Amino acid sequence: MAPLEHYLILSAVLFSLGVVGVVVRRNAIVVILCIELMMNGANLAFVAYGRYLDSMAGQMIVFFVMAVAAAEAAIGLAIVVLIYRNRESTDLDEINLLKL
Amino acid sequence: MASSLFFYFLAVVTTVGAIAVVAFPSPLYSVLALILTFLGLAGLYLSLHAQFVAIVQVIIYASAIMMLFLFVVMLINLGREEKRELQLPGQKLLGAIAGLAVFSVLLKIFLSTSLMTGKKGSFPPERVDELGNTQVIGNLLLTDYVLPFQAMGVLLFVGIVGAVVLARRRSR
Repeated sequence: MAPLEHYLILSAVLFSLGVVGVVVRRNAIVVILCIELMMNGANLAFVAYGRYLDSMAGQMIVFFVMAVAAAEAAIGLAIVVLIYRNRESTDLDEINLLKL
Repeated sequence: MASSLFFYFLAVVTTVGAIAVVAFPSPLYSVLALILTFLGLAGLYLSLHAQFVAIVQVIIYASAIMMLFLFVVMLINLGREEKRELQLPGQKLLGAIAGLAVFSVLLKIFLSTSLMTGKKGSFPPERVDELGNTQVIGNLLLTDYVLPFQAMGVLLFVGIVGAVVLARRRSR
């Protein structure tokens, strides 16, 4: 059984890779993918803590986070499709209508 | 020893998948790499005695949600990101700095032991395995967590309606 710290380090790695992706990538779909990656990093930490503290709360929260992720993916992708219809592109650098 | 090897194998698979999500220029390959990451995470949940969460991870995350992403990627037919200069100079460097900063903060929080001093819960893994993981979760969902459970239903409903309203073709 791997110690708790290893699970937590892996979770931190996943979360930070998600942060890097959100900052670096310019494609809206990939940015949403990276947000999913960050949520999964958090989920892993929840389950690992729950396992080592003999609690079910971690697994319950993961269940709710998955519902939020599903809703977020559905709405986010609908917005991406809308943007693509209007601008023929999903490049986030080109979505600057609010810029002066 | 075997379960420890299992963990390191899955950790490598998950990390490689996550790096590939960020690094692949084509969104299609990013989605496929994320599926690999999610399957690795499902294995990790199994090793943490969270069987129900592992199965839900495979069925909902790796299948349903990623299917949605694949559909959108194929629907709007994006090529690879064009190689033109970034609007923000040094964006890659900024990304690496942001990632490292978040990583070090998280590491500092996780490796400080103060998070593990709380009192233990009433569900040690042996007891949960004896009762059945899914059964325990089902009981908790309809007793202690009934309000979040209902709120989740409302949230998903709003998500469905919102997606339909947003993506439908306006008839003029």
